[in-house]
Amino acid sequence: MSTAWVVFRKELRETLRDRRTLIVMVAIPILLYPVLLIATEQLALLGIRRLESEASQVGVTGPASDDVIDFLASDEALELLNVPDPVDAIRSKFVGAVAVFGPPPQGVGTQSATVLYDAADERSQRARTVLARALRNWDDTLLDRRLTERGLPPAFADPLAIADSSVARAEELGGYTLGRFLPMLLILMTLLGTFYPAIDMAAGEKERGTLETLLTAPVPPRQIVVGKFLAVALIGVVAAALNLASMLLTFQTGLFQLGGSLDIDFALPWGSVLIIFVTLIPLAVLFGSLFLGIALRSRSFKEAQTTLTPVYLLVMVPALLPVFPGIGFTVALAAVPVAGLGIFFRELMAGSPALAPSMVAVATTGLWAWAALAFASASFGREDVLFGVGDAQVESGGGLRERLRRVLGPVSATPSAAQAIGFIASVAVLFFYMGFPLQAGWGERGLLLSEWLLLLLPAFLFVRVAGFDVRETFSVRRPEGSHVAGALLLIAGAMPLGWFLAWAQGFVLPVPWDMLEGLEDLITAESPSRLLWLLALLALTPAICEEAVFRGVLLAGIRGRGSAIRIAVFNGLVFGAFHISFESAFRFLPTAWLGFILAWAVLSTRSIWVGVLMHFVNNGSIVLMASIPALRTWPADGGEAPPWVLLAPALLAVVMGVRLLGR
Amino acid sequence: MCPSTYGAHMIEFQDLTKTYGPLRAVEGLSFRVEAGEVYALLGPNGAGKTTALRCLATLQAPTSGTARVGDADVCEQPLVVRARIGFLAASMGLYERLTPVELLQYFGRLHRMDGPDLDRRVAELTHAFGITPFANQPCGTLSTGQAQRVSVARALVHDPPALILDEPTMGLDVLSGEVIYRFIEAERNGGKAIVFSTHQMTEVELLADRVGVLNGGRLVAEGTPASLIGRTGERNMARAFLALVQGDGDGKGKGEALAPEEPG
Repeated sequence: MSTAWVVFRKELRETLRDRRTLIVMVAIPILLYPVLLIATEQLALLGIRRLESEASQVGVTGPASDDVIDFLASDEALELLNVPDPVDAIRSKFVGAVAVFGPPPQGVGTQSATVLYDAADERSQRARTVLARALRNWDDTLLDRRLTERGLPPAFADPLAIADSSVARAEELGGYTLGRFLPMLLILMTLLGTFYPAIDMAAGEKERGTLETLLTAPVPPRQIVVGKFLAVALIGVVAAALNLASMLLTFQTGLFQLGGSLDIDFALPWGSVLIIFVTLIPLAVLFGSLFLGIALRSRSFKEAQTTLTPVYLLVMVPALLPVFPGIGFTVALAAVPVAGLGIFFRELMAGSPALAPSMVAVATTGLWAWAALAFASASFGREDVLFGVGDAQVESGGGLRERLRRVLGPVSATPSAAQAIGFIASVAVLFFYMGFPLQAGWGERGLLLSEWLLLLLPAFLFVRVAGFDVRETFSVRRPEGSHVAGALLLIAGAMPLGWFLAWAQGFVLPVPWDMLEGLEDLITAESPSRLLWLLALLALTPAICEEAVFRGVLLAGIRGRGSAIRIAVFNGLVFGAFHISFESAFRFLPTAWLGFILAWAVLSTRSIWVGVLMHFVNNGSIVLMASIPALRTWPADGGEAPPWVLLAPALLAVVMGVRLLGR
Repeated sequence: MCPSTYGAHMIEFQDLTKTYGPLRAVEGLSFRVEAGEVYALLGPNGAGKTTALRCLATLQAPTSGTARVGDADVCEQPLVVRARIGFLAASMGLYERLTPVELLQYFGRLHRMDGPDLDRRVAELTHAFGITPFANQPCGTLSTGQAQRVSVARALVHDPPALILDEPTMGLDVLSGEVIYRFIEAERNGGKAIVFSTHQMTEVELLADRVGVLNGGRLVAEGTPASLIGRTGERNMARAFLALVQGDGDGKGKGEALAPEEPG
């Protein structure tokens, strides 16, 4: 018998004896949806019946004819009351609504009638509906009278009778209706289904001390991981399947009743449901492996819950994407983890999804799942992850002051990776809550303030207060002449390559033309003094402030955690993510590219001045190109294809720059 | 399997060092345990006992040096080593929602046992350790003594030639402790090599053929209990241990002067 199978069977047996998992996996899906539907239906019906059983109190003011007064008074759903002040009468809840009549018509004219009501009061809304319906009936009565007086048939006032009829098949309608929210719910339920079992099988096993025993069995760690993740994935899929079945049955018995009463033909696309069920498996593997790998790094069940909650919330973001209107099924979106499969589910429910993105969505989910599994396997093989003994022995103990010093303070001359990333996260939050309002309120001055006060100042304070070595953390070193030349060559080559990247990205992501034009207005100087100001604001300021944060603190924290390329890539990704705007993700790739180049240059030379110089040259060139008429025809950030003639010299400059910097 | 199949030295530490960053948890540890011998590893908290035993059990990789079980190296043949050892962690390591029988069957299968052989072995162990009355109760409902008996049975399910026991009597009452003592004696008589860590000096005097004293990650003394008592000039093992690990303030114990003896 395969060892992974032995582990799988044992994990499944244990999980099925865990009350908490059973509640999440079985009880919630089976009971939740019917209970919710019945409760909502009954509560709504109770409220409607209560309101319908009572006559609505209404009033009439203005020059209303006796006929209309009599007509309204004869309506059993209305109770006509005398109201001297209509607004006061509604506000004091004396009446629910008041019909305010305008001047009487001259001849065959139209008299206006406005229904006053309180939109914030349910009883008033009901009175408004009933009164408006009664007034429309009176309108029909008047029309009939006029047509009769002139000897005209009733069809005279209705020359075109409009009706609509959907060509959607019953399955398509059912699929469309469900397709909006079903993918999101399914993904979330798979997520929830894998959450507790993964924690229990990793952190729980560690906490109970059974992992140590298990790992002394003559079994390769990978077999154990495979057994465990198979169990987690199966539980996730079963949880999702139970949810799916319960949801669909509830939908059929509940909403389909409504469909019948509205004379709409609903049916469930069972074929699509089956495909969705099958493609949930790699998703469950992805969640299961990801959670297992992360939970293994926690010392206890509780710690794992705390660690995994942000991951859980983060995964929910792409899961929500299919719900938003206007989200198409492109190849690029199909490759986004979780979101791609969610949109695929939505499209599948609505009919026949496009083939290329469907294949990309399923294939990339499989790839992500494989990567997550590799991550979990790697975690199982690492003794620091399994035992964390070294850290525990070195860092445990001490009073509150000692602990605080450990959190903030220097164990070494430069911040640790966790401290640096924590700092970047704090700066991002600060920038979001203060930087954006500053820029929105004060424009260019706001931008200047946000760079100096929300980036540079916190970076400087972080390093000083925590007691890190300022020179070491910020890489304050005078660069050699060859490094300066190399930096200039590298950025001169990297800029056109960045334009090519932005241009290529335009095939996948839509180019936000409005934003680019707005940006061009901002960076175009019409006078020399304005040009100097823009260079100070858009080139010098970010070159100093952003370099201090990203090539200073962040790079100091992650330096030595991998190869120079890996560190530079990570630095670039963080830098790119920091520059994603509300309007578009378009800037991500070019900015991440710039961040990567800058990080690599600073890593190679250990001098932040190289980064400052390159950043200044990059931003300054863009300002100059937008402001100097002779240069305006050059390609801007994205949009048109850059001249291909630039490619070869750009590559040459990069190669020469890299060689000079590597000296 | 007959222990002599593996050669003379069943367990061997060879200049094993384990560091965590700047911390040297175990430094240059060398000792041997023969088949049919019980070796007690003593030391104050943080001396490196658990780390040394974890390295031997292949749970942690030595920074330098190595350890062997039979002729199998912990770094090069970890799966072979694991098949030859029964490891009892201080935390017992029982699955709360499995019964003792299910637990023994699970570990038996992980050791490639199956069918009637496994059933027979599980029945033998449940009988030998008095587990039968609670054999089908979830482990989470067992008393500390019952749980420890299950834990020991679990370590023996594949009948390994070497046993590694990390504080096997921790938290047990006298009666449950007695069960463990009898088990260790029986396994020694059956020719197994046993290394165990403990803070209980009475059980060292009662069980150990030889003793190794760790202090600050280094083996500061080694010998039979009687020889250590004699060499320190103290009345009993507890006093001898204190003399060996308590120094004159500079971190050096009396044992610094006592070179480990060659194993007999």
